[in-house]
Amino acid sequence: MALTQFKRLLARTVRQLCSRKAYLFCMIVVPVGMAFFFLSLLGEGLPLDVPTAVVDLDNSTLSRNITRNLSTVETIDISMKLSSFDEAMEKVRGGEIFGFFYIPENLQRDALAGNNPTISYYSNMTYFVPGTLAYKGFKTMAVTASGAIVQGKLVDAGVGQSTADVLLQPVIIDLNGIGNPWMNYSYYLTPSFMAGVLELMIFLVTVFSICSEMKEATSQQWLRLSNGSIVGAVMGKLLPQTVIFWIVGLFINVLLYKFYHFPMNGSMLWLSVAMLIYVPACQGFALLVVSVVPNMRLALSICSLTGILAFSIAAFSFPVQSMYGAVGIFSYILPVRYYFLIYIDQALNGIDIYYSRYYFAALLMFIIIPFAALWNLRRHALKPVYIP
Amino acid sequence: MNSITRHIKQWFSAAAKVWRREFYLVIHDEGALIFFILLPLFYPIVYTVIYNPEVTRDIPVAVVDNSRTAGSRELVRMMDATSAIDIAGYAANLQEARSWMDNKDVFGVVVIPEDYDRKIGRGEQAVVNFYSDMSLLLRYRTFVSALTDVQLATGAQIRQEIMNDAGISLGSGSPINNEAYFLGDTEQGFASFIIPGIVVLILQQSMLLGITLLGGTASERRRKNHGVDPLAIPGAPASATVVGKAMCYTVIYLPLAIYILHYIPEWFNLPHEGSAVDYLLFIFPMLVASSFFGLALCRFVKEREMAFLLIVFTSVMLLFLSGLTWPRYAMSDLWRGVGDCIPVVWGVEGFIRINSNGGTLGENATPFYWLWGLSAVYFFLAWLYFRTLKRR
Repeated sequence: MALTQFKRLLARTVRQLCSRKAYLFCMIVVPVGMAFFFLSLLGEGLPLDVPTAVVDLDNSTLSRNITRNLSTVETIDISMKLSSFDEAMEKVRGGEIFGFFYIPENLQRDALAGNNPTISYYSNMTYFVPGTLAYKGFKTMAVTASGAIVQGKLVDAGVGQSTADVLLQPVIIDLNGIGNPWMNYSYYLTPSFMAGVLELMIFLVTVFSICSEMKEATSQQWLRLSNGSIVGAVMGKLLPQTVIFWIVGLFINVLLYKFYHFPMNGSMLWLSVAMLIYVPACQGFALLVVSVVPNMRLALSICSLTGILAFSIAAFSFPVQSMYGAVGIFSYILPVRYYFLIYIDQALNGIDIYYSRYYFAALLMFIIIPFAALWNLRRHALKPVYIP
Repeated sequence: MNSITRHIKQWFSAAAKVWRREFYLVIHDEGALIFFILLPLFYPIVYTVIYNPEVTRDIPVAVVDNSRTAGSRELVRMMDATSAIDIAGYAANLQEARSWMDNKDVFGVVVIPEDYDRKIGRGEQAVVNFYSDMSLLLRYRTFVSALTDVQLATGAQIRQEIMNDAGISLGSGSPINNEAYFLGDTEQGFASFIIPGIVVLILQQSMLLGITLLGGTASERRRKNHGVDPLAIPGAPASATVVGKAMCYTVIYLPLAIYILHYIPEWFNLPHEGSAVDYLLFIFPMLVASSFFGLALCRFVKEREMAFLLIVFTSVMLLFLSGLTWPRYAMSDLWRGVGDCIPVVWGVEGFIRINSNGGTLGENATPFYWLWGLSAVYFFLAWLYFRTLKRR
């Protein structure tokens, strides 16, 4: 195929892309818009000040002290003081609070008399993040409250103040989060979910643009422009899209790592290389689907299904190692899994590129494999059939 | 017969005809059937299977023990005994442990300092470092709760030993016990937390996909037929068309709602506390609101397959707006406001509280009224669109 001819093919594709607002919407508005959505929504990093309550049935110096200390805990916000357990449960069921701290009657008397009273705390785990934060805040407080009494007794028993302090916590396990010590929730979710959104939109646009040729019965003309070469036709169709998605993908990365200062402990260069391979890898996956199933609705269904399931199965939140084996393997048929692993290695952990070599290789495979199935796409492009 | 009752009768008869015609169109459209029937039937199962292991256990951890004493070995043994941690091996130094971590053989490294035992013996505080991989929040979270327990237990044990040696007695145990209770998702499992929300999301999203697919198809028919849909009911007023179609979708979804909201949690042992009457009554206005919402969205869908391009990605956005992953109280007014306008956001909120926390419909009156309010708003928006369509 001559160069001028290929240029004509490219020009045709660009005309098609410009002729429909849906392309502009799916290729630029959705990915960029979603990036700003995540950045804006998760901007604070952690949803602190979980609405919680305290039920104080003791009303003693000790219990008031605990209540006061609870209100200084960063993760929770004691927004209510309630007078009974039932009332607190009602507020949980109505969604006004995500947990409560329960101080029983005679807490102070029993504690000083050595009767081992129990304070309890309730966290609503139907919402994971606020539930966990409430639990953490409550637990710290409960341990501190108990510790204060132990300390007092130790001092009374004649142990020096400084030794008593140590005895309270003889061992400290200091937990260091590598790459994200701030526990910033946005750092977990934004890069991985953005990669997922990009994958989904690339899938859909690839399938839609190729199958539109068949639906509108222009596929023969499309093939004629490339002298009947399906490889040339597909290249002419997908390259302009590749370029647009490259620009969008790199823009999003610059946005995250340069402007919003997401952790970048490795080199931006490798992540950019990964993005340059990731875009055609996603196109390759969709191209394979459309070559095997050259039916617009079915191909779009398959790509939507995998594109949406990818958010779960590529294990951004629940580890593959904990999934059932037969489920976990599906994680590895998706390009986004590899991009995610490269992101973890290169951006979050900043380790040597050597450890990411297989992920890059896997992404390259997604680009190569569909060429083996293109003959089937050619067959259908020559005799286009549209099935609604 | 006076003319008002005649008009009302005609309106109802038109709405009923639209309903019947729409039902005919649905069962003769493979694409719509996949969205309306297959998707709600199978997606909840797929999601539950993915998350069904619920928790992450036995995460491999490397040990760098610079102390090599009975005390340090005891600490490692206690970590290994937790369900969260599995001691995968001893590394000679931090560097070796880090290389295991880079290879993804371990996801945490515990470093016990050389003076661990000595410090404890001298009555000083010993600090043990734990380095956690941060690629997944869930793993880190699991480490945090396991290590907090180990720290408290080790501390109590050491304190007791030291006090026994010194002959101080404080009575047994801690003077104030504390007990943690987890509501709704008592095992803190991942499926138990996320599935009740996801299934409601599936209800709305599959419905929107189906409605916009049918809407896009009608749009294509109109284009080929001088702006008139040959399969529309002639002379049916826009309001009757909108109501008739919405009734068709709502009725199709009633049995699916029972399947998704009742049987899925029951089969997979997910939290399922509330009364069926409460959550089914609650979900009804969500189905109605979603139907009208879908019909209002048809304005933007000019082609059958456009449904995929315009609707699918919104599921990701709605997962967040619903407060499932990021609580709504922490959202800015803008995003909370956007969420307020989407039926499924209220649907998820109310259903989780009724289903998982055992709330009643009365306790969830706010989302219930919002859903009825949204039904009215989206009916109006859908009506505005259908009014513009040419009728024969």
